[in-house]
Amino acid sequence: MKAKQWVEKHSFIWPLVGTIILWAMIVAVSGRFSMNQLFSCATLASFSLMLGLGQTIVITSGEGAIDLSGTYVLTLAAYISCTVMKQNAILGILAAVAAGALVGLINGIINIYLKVPAMITTLATGYIVFTIVLIAAPHMNSLPNSGFVKLITTNFGGLTVMTLICLAVSALLAVLLYKTKFGKNLHAIGQKREAAKYAGISVPFTVIATFTLAGAIAGFAGVLCGAYIGGAFQDMGTSYFLPAVAAALVGGTLASGGRSSVMGVIFGALMMSFMSTFLNAANLAPGLQRLIQGAVLVLILVASVSKKD
Amino acid sequence: MKVQENQAPYMELTDIDKTFGITRALQGVSLKLYAGEVIGLVGPNGAGKSTLMKVITGVLPPTSGSIRIAGKEMTGKYGAKEAKEAGIACAYQDLSLCTNLSVYENFALLNVDHKLVSKAGWRKLARQSAKELLEKYFPNNGIDVMASIEKLSLADRQIVEICKTLMTDNLKVLILDEPTSALSTDKARQLHEVVHQLSSQGVAVIYISHKLDEIQLVSDRIVMMRNGQVTGEFDAQEIGTDELVEKMGGEKKAREQKTEGQDSISAEKMVDVDGLNSSLLKDIHMYVNKGEIVGISGLVGSGQTDLLNAIFRAHKKAGVRTKEGVLVNGTIAYVSGDRSKEGVFQLWDIEDNILIANLDQVKEKGLLSSKKSDSLAQHWYDKLKFRAEGIHSPIMSLSGGNQQKALIARGIASGADLIILNDPTAGVDIETKQEIYSLLDEAKKEGKSIILYSTEDSEIEICDRAYIMHEGAIAEELKGNDITVSNIVAASFKDVGKGKKNDKEEKQENALVRLLKAPTTLPVLTLIVMIFANASMNRNLLSYMGFEMLVGSAVPLVFVALSQMFIVVSGDIDMGNGTAIGLINVLFGVIFTGNPLVGVIGMIIFVAAYVGMGALIHIRRIPAIVVTLGAQYIWLGVALVLCPTPGGSCPEWFMAFYDFAFPLIPMPVVISVAAGLVCYYILKRSKYGMVLRGIGNNPVSVERSGWSYMTARLTNYGIAAVLLILSGMSFTAVCRSADANGATTYQMLSIATIILGGCEMSGGKVVPMGVAAGAVAMTFITTLLTSLRIDSNFQTAVTGGILIAVLAIKLISHRKEANK
Repeated sequence: MKAKQWVEKHSFIWPLVGTIILWAMIVAVSGRFSMNQLFSCATLASFSLMLGLGQTIVITSGEGAIDLSGTYVLTLAAYISCTVMKQNAILGILAAVAAGALVGLINGIINIYLKVPAMITTLATGYIVFTIVLIAAPHMNSLPNSGFVKLITTNFGGLTVMTLICLAVSALLAVLLYKTKFGKNLHAIGQKREAAKYAGISVPFTVIATFTLAGAIAGFAGVLCGAYIGGAFQDMGTSYFLPAVAAALVGGTLASGGRSSVMGVIFGALMMSFMSTFLNAANLAPGLQRLIQGAVLVLILVASVSKKD
Repeated sequence: MKVQENQAPYMELTDIDKTFGITRALQGVSLKLYAGEVIGLVGPNGAGKSTLMKVITGVLPPTSGSIRIAGKEMTGKYGAKEAKEAGIACAYQDLSLCTNLSVYENFALLNVDHKLVSKAGWRKLARQSAKELLEKYFPNNGIDVMASIEKLSLADRQIVEICKTLMTDNLKVLILDEPTSALSTDKARQLHEVVHQLSSQGVAVIYISHKLDEIQLVSDRIVMMRNGQVTGEFDAQEIGTDELVEKMGGEKKAREQKTEGQDSISAEKMVDVDGLNSSLLKDIHMYVNKGEIVGISGLVGSGQTDLLNAIFRAHKKAGVRTKEGVLVNGTIAYVSGDRSKEGVFQLWDIEDNILIANLDQVKEKGLLSSKKSDSLAQHWYDKLKFRAEGIHSPIMSLSGGNQQKALIARGIASGADLIILNDPTAGVDIETKQEIYSLLDEAKKEGKSIILYSTEDSEIEICDRAYIMHEGAIAEELKGNDITVSNIVAASFKDVGKGKKNDKEEKQENALVRLLKAPTTLPVLTLIVMIFANASMNRNLLSYMGFEMLVGSAVPLVFVALSQMFIVVSGDIDMGNGTAIGLINVLFGVIFTGNPLVGVIGMIIFVAAYVGMGALIHIRRIPAIVVTLGAQYIWLGVALVLCPTPGGSCPEWFMAFYDFAFPLIPMPVVISVAAGLVCYYILKRSKYGMVLRGIGNNPVSVERSGWSYMTARLTNYGIAAVLLILSGMSFTAVCRSADANGATTYQMLSIATIILGGCEMSGGKVVPMGVAAGAVAMTFITTLLTSLRIDSNFQTAVTGGILIAVLAIKLISHRKEANK
């Protein structure tokens, strides 16, 4: 009973166990073990982790909210950062993050004041952002700033600077979510907006701020992604959507809102990255890889998300 | 009808006790129901009337006591099903109708035979019988049986609800709970007529009402309840209204004189309401001084909660009079008694629930300190003597009373100058109540102001002053020792004279406005505009060939959007249908062309997989969005395994069918219209369609009418899968090849299309023909952009823009409707 409660409270255990199993399977398939396997998976997990964190706070705001625009924001931000970084690296980061935040702000405002469900809102703004990418991309620089690339790929005992940056962002977000008034308010509105209103919380402000923050994080993910994979391209965000949502949900974040777990997202993203590494290492056909990924995902979700009563 | 001598009671309740935890809701209640007798049930708020009715309808099992029906001992095996079989029915106050279905469909849901198909013409019969039913009991009601419930006024809905209850075959006991609360005088009179009629047919009626003159008019026997007990039975002919009011007030509760505590009241005003008016409130003038407890009372639903909300809304601008005329000179805390909807945060422990309104007090260097949090929570935990394991006990593990303590601690701990309590002791045991009162007293001594609204009249006695409300106005102000239950009851029934309930006659809308508001109008209009816009660019498009080509590329979207619609009608969403089409594309273009049998088996497995997915969503209660997202990978994976690289072809016979030169109208147009019509038939014309739509709106009501929620939901998933197969096949015909990754864009497009088509994401409101028209219109928009030589990249933005525009238009028209 005790153990069950403990697992329920620390549900990041699920993806952690998944990670360990997958790692063991990689060792078995490749016949060798090294810490580099962990480090390279951690590096690859960065982008799903960032998008997953943004997704987590949006989902936590409740009412079935989900952000479908994050992957497009990532792509746009990658282009913007690559372009502006030609002048100045810092300015490039800021511009990309600001663009992401702006999209998030618009999402929040439409959601709250036009009363359009978050899913439809972000679907629509996602379309628009994607169009901007398609039209503007040919006129923009898609190659990253080499100095910045060098910086984030620098290695500290195996861990890249990028991984460290992502962990730092996660830690900051954890502080915001669990140690500040804003974080508590966010979890409150995610459980019951009516009760939150009567507890004196401004629901519109909290929701809009949450969407804005999620947009900013997606923008920052774009900065890192554009630099790390060697440049921006039009579909770069698409492949991170599902791993990001999965990372958010397998680690204890409630799909209905009100409960989040930053730790869960970290291990969730790591597990998704280990899974694709394993499937590659096992030399399976791409179709089989997708199939296994999907099946495992649904199974994990059934185990961790579903309500039993 | 009077009870005959020697008549045996139809239903007999003896010594019924019902306890919730330590609260005794019913104590030794005995009641005999005779066939044909009308019992008027009266009593102050919280007397236990509703609990007793729940025992009678089998919803709540009694803790002890016996129930006999027609002389047969039922104790121990009496539930909702047995009650239904015994002919006991209740018209619920919270309406149990599917608001997206029409009036006659709501009736038909219950009384049409529950087989899958009925003889043709059943709709006509159902309409006829619905009309007759309404006409029989409420002549000249003017209710359009074809209109959906959401279009009806509250009064009309109540009439429909009552009539639905009357449909119960073998009706023996009918319970009417505040049936006339929304009815106008003449409708109420009709209802009384109905009651007489039923009683002469031998039906026992229990009539619950706060309107005493009404009770006297309809009942033979009046039963009075108080504090969970029956305190008196009277012959309706022999007792007068005044006497009833007096008896309801009961013996005066012993209460120490209010001498102490008066000095804490200062003359300074904390709240000042000056002429507050709203749709529910009429010219409210009231004030609250510092250090004063002011009570709000009156019959439930007299506008008390609206008044509290109006005062709470002023918390955003303390010290400034709001537009409504409310001035509050300080901070406000609000404690709600509706714990499950407005109070507790169910995922949290006691500590978080107390602290959420008080986080500024536990900050240290800008961050929340867990040490400070624990000590503040512990302080209140000890002070309120919680019965729990500690401050970290989950709030949901506590009893209602202890949950309420956490909410009160939340309110008081905030140090707000004004505490508003909205029925804070609902479902709270006596001991906890006393503790809450002493807390309020303490807060008052500290100079806080308190507004207490309670549905329990005796509770108002702890107040310094009280306002008794009636029909949205303040009927009387009571002070000090004048605040007694009998005075409150008397004031509650006082006629305020002003603001009689006026029956708002709905203005008949003219045909044009109605046409503009029809959900199919927007997609059809878009379609027509797009056809002309396209034609103006290229004349040839209006020809047979041009149309065939244009609409031909739209057919896959028509099917996938209709498929999405069947998922949305159950209140779910499909995030994986794009790759599912890719899978069908492969199954049809590669597998089927190789071996038709294997192809067909594959498609059957696909439908089974979709239904299985629906079952997973239903049984494990996982959000559909999550499962369908995961399934997206599975469809894609299977498709890639079967066909790693694009290839294949479309079977000749299918191409021949698809390109068939249908006379006058091109084949793709025929297919699109037929698809829309078939879906329209399934959802809006077939009998089971009512159930398919009903579950997205009010699954409880559908189940109460005897249909299975799960079967209906899985049927929706199955139909959605079949439509996806048709979509994939037509996609193959359009591309003439197969590509696992080729159809992913349809996923988002299908959602955009159903929105344009007039569907709503929840509530079971869907428009099949609108969706079909919307799908074609969407495709035409793409064509137009191409012929305008607009960068094809703009197409996605246009889709996004359309989505927002459509929803904004809807919002504006909804607002207008709400303002009316």
